[in-house]
Parts: sequence; C-alpha cells; structure tokens
Amino acid sequence: MSAFSETAAAGRLAALDALLEGVDRERAILAALEDEAPVVRDRAIRLATRYIEPQVLGELVADETNATLRNAAITALERQGPYAVPHLESMLARPEEDVVMFALQMLARIGEPSVVRTVAPLVRHSNPNIAQSAVEALGQLRSAQAVPTLLDLLHGDLWLQLAAIEALGEIGDPAAVPPLVALVPDSIVAEPAVAALQRIAAPESLEALIDRLVSVRERSLRDGLLLAIGVVIDLHPNPGPVAIQYSGRLELDPSRDLLGYLEEILQWDPGLAAPDAGGEPRDGDSLLRAATALTVVAGLRSMYPPVLIRIATDESATWAVTLFRRNPGELSPALRQLLRHHDLRVRRGALLAGSFQAEDLPLVLEHLEDADWLIRAAACRALGVIGNPDTVPLLVHRLREGVEVERAAAVDALAEFPAESLGALEPCLGPDAAEPVQAAALEVLGKRKMQRFDAQKMERFEARIIELARHPSPEVRGPAIRAAAQLPGSRAEVALIRALADRHEPIQVEALELLVKRDHGKTVSTLAALLGADDSLRYHVIRALGHLRAAEAAPKLESLYGECGPYEQVEIVLALIRIAAPGVAQFLRTRLSESEPEIRRVAARGLATLADRTQLPLLLALAADSDWCVRDEAARGLGLLGMAECREPLLILARDVEPVVASTARAALVLLRTVAPAAA
Amino acid sequence: MTPVEAADWKLLTDLIQARFGLMFDGVRCEILEGRLRPRLRALHLDSLREYYLYLRFHPERELEFGRLASLVTNNETYFFRETHQFDILVRHVLPPLKPSLRERPFKILCAGCSSGEEAYSMVIAFQNAGLELAGITWEIDAHDVDPVRVARGRDAVYEPTSLRACDADVRRKYFTPSGGRYQLKERHRKGVRFFETNLAAPNGALGWAVFDAILCRNMLIYFGAPAFDNLIGLFARSLRPGGYLLLGHSESLLDRQTPFVPVSFEGGVVYRKGMDAA
Repeated sequence: MSAFSETAAAGRLAALDALLEGVDRERAILAALEDEAPVVRDRAIRLATRYIEPQVLGELVADETNATLRNAAITALERQGPYAVPHLESMLARPEEDVVMFALQMLARIGEPSVVRTVAPLVRHSNPNIAQSAVEALGQLRSAQAVPTLLDLLHGDLWLQLAAIEALGEIGDPAAVPPLVALVPDSIVAEPAVAALQRIAAPESLEALIDRLVSVRERSLRDGLLLAIGVVIDLHPNPGPVAIQYSGRLELDPSRDLLGYLEEILQWDPGLAAPDAGGEPRDGDSLLRAATALTVVAGLRSMYPPVLIRIATDESATWAVTLFRRNPGELSPALRQLLRHHDLRVRRGALLAGSFQAEDLPLVLEHLEDADWLIRAAACRALGVIGNPDTVPLLVHRLREGVEVERAAAVDALAEFPAESLGALEPCLGPDAAEPVQAAALEVLGKRKMQRFDAQKMERFEARIIELARHPSPEVRGPAIRAAAQLPGSRAEVALIRALADRHEPIQVEALELLVKRDHGKTVSTLAALLGADDSLRYHVIRALGHLRAAEAAPKLESLYGECGPYEQVEIVLALIRIAAPGVAQFLRTRLSESEPEIRRVAARGLATLADRTQLPLLLALAADSDWCVRDEAARGLGLLGMAECREPLLILARDVEPVVASTARAALVLLRTVAPAAA
Repeated sequence: MTPVEAADWKLLTDLIQARFGLMFDGVRCEILEGRLRPRLRALHLDSLREYYLYLRFHPERELEFGRLASLVTNNETYFFRETHQFDILVRHVLPPLKPSLRERPFKILCAGCSSGEEAYSMVIAFQNAGLELAGITWEIDAHDVDPVRVARGRDAVYEPTSLRACDADVRRKYFTPSGGRYQLKERHRKGVRFFETNLAAPNGALGWAVFDAILCRNMLIYFGAPAFDNLIGLFARSLRPGGYLLLGHSESLLDRQTPFVPVSFEGGVVYRKGMDAA
C-alpha cells in the first residue's frame, strides 16, 4: 500500500539522482517524467528544466499520444523561461494546431515582452483556434503595442471579439475605453466589455459607466457596471464632479428603480449567506463597497442611512468612513438632518463619518450628553475632528467618567489635540485617579511630543509620568513608558533604560523600541553595554543595534558571535549586514563555511546585498551551491551587480531545478536589461 | 511587514508542510499571510523570513508552533454537516459488526476534528438511531493539531455559527443557551474523547487495528503528496481489517495505490480496508 509505494518511489527518486552525473542522465529524466508517483514526476520536471534542451522537450509537446509526458514537458519548458523562448517561437511555425496553441500559451506564461512581434501576426491565422490563442497570449503579455491590433478585432468573429475584449482588459490601456464602452449595453459582449473596463479602471470611463448603469435593467450587467464603477472611483483622483451630475436624476426618478437596487446592496448582510450554497454567488462585499462608493461620491442623500448604519454597527467598515472623509461633498450639508434622524445608528454613523467644521460644534455637543453611550463615544470622536481646544475638558471628563468605549474614544480624540492644550489631563495622572483613567491619560500623552508645555507644567507632568513608569501594574507602566518616550531630557531616557529590565517582557521590548526610535545619541552605547547580559532581551538588543545601523557596535557583535546559540547568531549576522561596517564581507565569507544552513543562507543574503564588482567570483561560486536558498541569493546578487558577465550565469540559474531560484534569476535578468542594456 | 519574497514563502511553507503536512499555494498563501501578520506584529518581527527563523531557532519555538497550528488549519465546520455519512455508518458499517459490538464499543476516529462539531453530531446521530437502546456503546476519538480548538471541543460551548444548520427546535433539543453561545447538553457528549495530535508528524501512531471507521473529511485536500500518503498509511494501520475510511466529498483515493477499495453506499463513496490487509 502507500507504505510500500512510498518506499518504491523513494527508491526511484534515489536512482534518478544517482544517474544525474552519468551518460544516461537524459534518458533517466525522460523516463521519470512519466513515473506513476507524483513526487518522482515533480523531481523529473525540475531536472528536465535544468538539463533537457528545449528542442527535446518540444518534441514531447508534439506527442499527442502521451498526455503525461506532454504536460510534464510543457511545465519544464515554461520553467526554462527565456532559455526556451527561441525554440518556442520556432514552434509557432509547426503545422500541428495543438502544438502552436501550446507554444502560444507557454510564451504568454513566460512573459518575455519581445515575443509580441512573433505572436501578433497570428491573430489573423486562418485557424480560428490559433488566432484566439494568439489574442489571449497578447493579453497575458500585457503589451500596449498590441492594442491597435486587438481593437481591430472588436467587430469581427464573436470568439475573437470576446478574446480581444478580455485581452484589452488585461493590457489596461485607456485607449480601449471608448470602443469598449460602445459595446455596452446592447451587445451580447456587454458583460465581458464591462469586466474589461473594470480591469482598465481608467478615470475617463467613470461618466460612461454611470451613464450605462442608469440605463440598464439586467441584474448581472448592473452588478458588473457597479463593480467597475467602484474600482474606477477608488482609483479616480477626483470622482465627485463627474458622479454628482447624476445625483438629481437618480434621486428624482419616480420609479426608484436604481435606488432600490442600490439600497438592497447597501443592506447586504454577509452573515446571511447560506452555508454550502450552490450556484454562482454574487460578490456581496465588493458590490457593497461599490454601492457605498457611488452613494458617497454622487451624494445620494436618500441612501446615506444604510451606509451610516453600517458604519455605526460594523467595526470593520472604516473604509466607508474613509470614503466620506475623502469625499465630504454632500454629507456635510446633510449632517444637521442626519444628526436628528430617528434611528440612533444613523446618528452614530453620521458622528463617526462627518468631516465636522468649527461651526458644527454646538450640534456635536448636544450628542455628548446623549443617553446612549455609543452616541456619546461617537460625539467624542467628532470633537477630535473639530479640534477646538475649549472642548478638551469635556473630553477629559468623558475619559474619567465614561464607560470603556467612551474612554477609548476620548483617548483617540484627545490625541488629535496639540500637547499644550492637554493640561486638563493632569488630574487623571494623580494618585487618586483609577488605574484605567491613569492608563488612558498616559496613552494620550504617549501620542504627542510634550516639549511645548510651559516649564512648570512640564516638570509636574514629567515627574508624574516617570513615577507611573514604576507603577505595580503593567497596564499603567506600559503607557507610562510610551508617554516618557515623548518627554525631552535625560530623566525620561533613564526611565526607558530602566524599563529594559522590567519584569514584564513585552514592556522590555517596547522600551527598547522606543529608545531606538528616540535615539538621543547615547542609545547605542547603552544597548552595547547590554550585550554582556545573557538574557532573553539580548536578542532584541542585537536587532535594535542592527536597526540603528550602529557601526561602533559591530566589533562587539562580531566578538559575541562565538558565544551565542544559533538564534542570536542569525540575528548578529543580520544586524551586521544592516550595519554594513567595513570588513563585514570577510565575516560573512567565514560564515559560509559553517555547517548550519540558515547561517550560510543569511551570510549569502548579506554578500548578495552588499556585493560590489570584486565579489563577482564569489557570487558565481554561490550560484553553483547545493543549497537552493544560497543559489537564490546569488541570483539576486548577480542582478543587483548589473554586469554583462552576470547574464550567462543568470541564464543557467533561470533554468534551476528549484522554481523559486529560476524565478529570481528571471527577475534579475529583467533588472539586468534595465540597468545595463548593453549587458543584456 | 516587508513584501514577501518567494524564497521566504518557500522556506516557511516547506517548514509548515514538514511539520503539519499542509500545503500552501496561491490564494491559500494570501490567506495565511493575512493570518500571520498579527503574529509578526506581536513578536516584533518585520518579515516572514524572520518568522521562519524564529520557528527554527527561538527557545520558545514549540509554543509558537502551537499557535501556528491554529493559523494554518481550516477550522470551518458546523453541527450536522454532511450527515449522510453518519447514516452510512449506522445503516451499512455498523450492522455487520453487531455481534462483536455486544462485547466492545464501536470505535471511530474523527481526524481533524476541529472543535468537535462533527464528533458530537455523530453522537447525536447514533442516539437518534437507537444504538443505546440496542445496547451498543461507542468511543469516538477526536484528534486535532490545534490546542485551542481541542480545548473548545472539550468545553463543548459553541458560537451561533457552529449551529448554522440547526433550526430553533434543534437548538432547543440539543443545546442550552449560555451568554450568546450554546452549551451542548451533557448526554450528547457521551463517548467522545479529544486528543491534541499532529497526525502528520513522522512516525505518528494511533494504535494497530483499533478503529472500525475513520472520518477524515476536508482535511486531505490541504495535504502535500508525502503527507497524504503517510496519513493514508497511518489510517490503514489503525483500522481493523474490513474497516472503513470516510473522506470529504471533494477528496478521493481513486487514483492512488492504497489498500482501500471504494464502496458505494446510498450514492456516496467510502473506502474499505481489505480483510487480509495488514
């Protein structure tokens, strides 16, 4: 059973590997390409990619009697990438229809842009299947050069027309917008044309898409148009002026046909989707986002309530708030009415989404005393948007007296105010304040630099914050060190350094990160001193020194290397690569002779990243390493070097038995073309 | 988090495959990336490569593998899902065993049990089929790699989504509401034992010829070829001769060389171990 079939497969794998160095290599690989065990076939495909010439593989593609070999050969040819391209191009002239079609598909998937000139003429091939495959290939190659040819096909044979539409969508050239719009709504290719317009997502298509949405009735076409509109709005620099033209027309339509359609989508509930439902499901979430985008940018006021209800009830709907903030246009004039809406969810949504101005303050303040705490919390957030310093005491009151949600909202709102207006927070830090209030006040202070307090107030705040950094509860100490990090001066620095020895590890790590961010000059020496302590923090210290690019710590890190376990050793190597101190290349070369593969891999990564022209021989050696990860780094490094001598070894790596290496090598070859055309 | 490099993905997914047998590619990689992001933030790591190195070397890596188990497994399940397989157990698998079941329990393995919905649904199916009245007892060994899910299974308290296929009557009959969730009634937990087990671990053992049937539904589709073969081998060893393996509707052994033969019951295909197979 599987136990013995596994053993047999393992034996065949071993036999295959044993033949790799001998004269029977090609025969063994070709035989293994049709092995019954997938694991052996997979290995053989990798080896064929590396060792079998495209001509040989091409003949296997032509053998229609053996589908297993044909599929394996196709995979291997695709993985050979640029190396196989000349032969695949020559296959386009073969008489067998299926061979030409396979060649087109492989060329498309390899994605070498230069093949467009060979592929494009085939769109006029007398065999319609070949012509269609050529059109599809041009789409996958995403060549703008092919757009005129494809546009010509929009009025011909239906199948070519469909393929051309899809290809134009994949290419994404805005030149295709007017001809594609002309195919909507009366043509039978309307839905694919809309899908293509969605992929192109050109701003200039917005008006035409809304125009068509208003006029069509068919549900699936409407869905397609709405989805396209959603994407175009998302990418449009200023969709409002275009969309707003349709507001009156839609709102005044007595049939409310389109508004009814939008309303149904805006009320979509993902929780009601039936399990294991059959059929083609509508993309509810994307339609919801598109309908919301259209509602917001076109200012469809009658549709605001369902949008605001979602904002009020679905924490993940922050994207809808962002839409309103980006396009405040019609919401602002409607706010007064919406804040008096009978449904408190609408009121809450309006408070959360509104871009309130100074003159809206009285309206918002009314809601700060609402009976519902969710409304009060939303009002706090709206006060943060207005940013009137006179409201700070009111927010501080909510922070002290409110329920948890109000407190969190007050914290976020107060964080919007400049530090100098936050003096009213002082009582919240006092010994009589409850711990959650102290923590909340510290959270606010942790989000703002505090240099601008007057000297006396600063001294009081500083003393109290530093005191709270030693509070028994980590719930207070954590925000206290964040607040301390915002204070100028050495006392705060000392508080952070002391927190490096906190008994709560997350606080230690956060203190370290705050010190790194703050970096007042002494951080590196402080951290370097901590390298002597063999504790769990040392790993983070090593990382921090790397992030600080602390060249002065490099010798100490190097000398520490021999005393550490592999976990810290890897971090030391990574830190030294970041620091890039002189002499690091030699250190990394030494690491290549270690037995631990991960150390070799990070060393290779460093050498590839830091390589200069003198390192070419080393990179060439790494390109032949037995570890795929090291070869992958070599491929990356050769691409970065950008020298003409890198092309040949990269072409070999582009056929590597490990697809990841081949893919990196192909990307490096593209880079080589970009940085050194002469080399390519 | 820095953009994910293909090599980083390969290192991490190879490690996951070696550890859990699970394969990740395409959309599943994207889903996994989304699930891993909060873990990386919590561990103050910048990239998947750093996370990989953490799993390889960190002193607390075993703890992290436990957390990773929750992230890599698909815990999508609910009560009374694909109940026709329980009918097959009751109507076709169990009757020939009745003479021996007077002296021993009907033994089922529920592989990849998640939080126990399937195992408990089976108990309810057995009770509704009158097995208790017929004097037949059962033991259902429910195994999963995710310690959190296994703990939930032991607690038998469920979110409403786990009861999505239950109408109000069914909910009332088998569950007690408990703070917005549902506690399975004690009598429907009878005979179920939970185990935190990595079935894909090398040299995994469940006992020799122990089970009358194994349910492993919608788990093998995520397994790479070696892990798939290992697991089928493990199942074959732990089933009694003539025992049955029940897979999910999208899973099949038809194109593989195994000691199982397909058997069709009521339009569904299950797999039977040969009477003379080891």
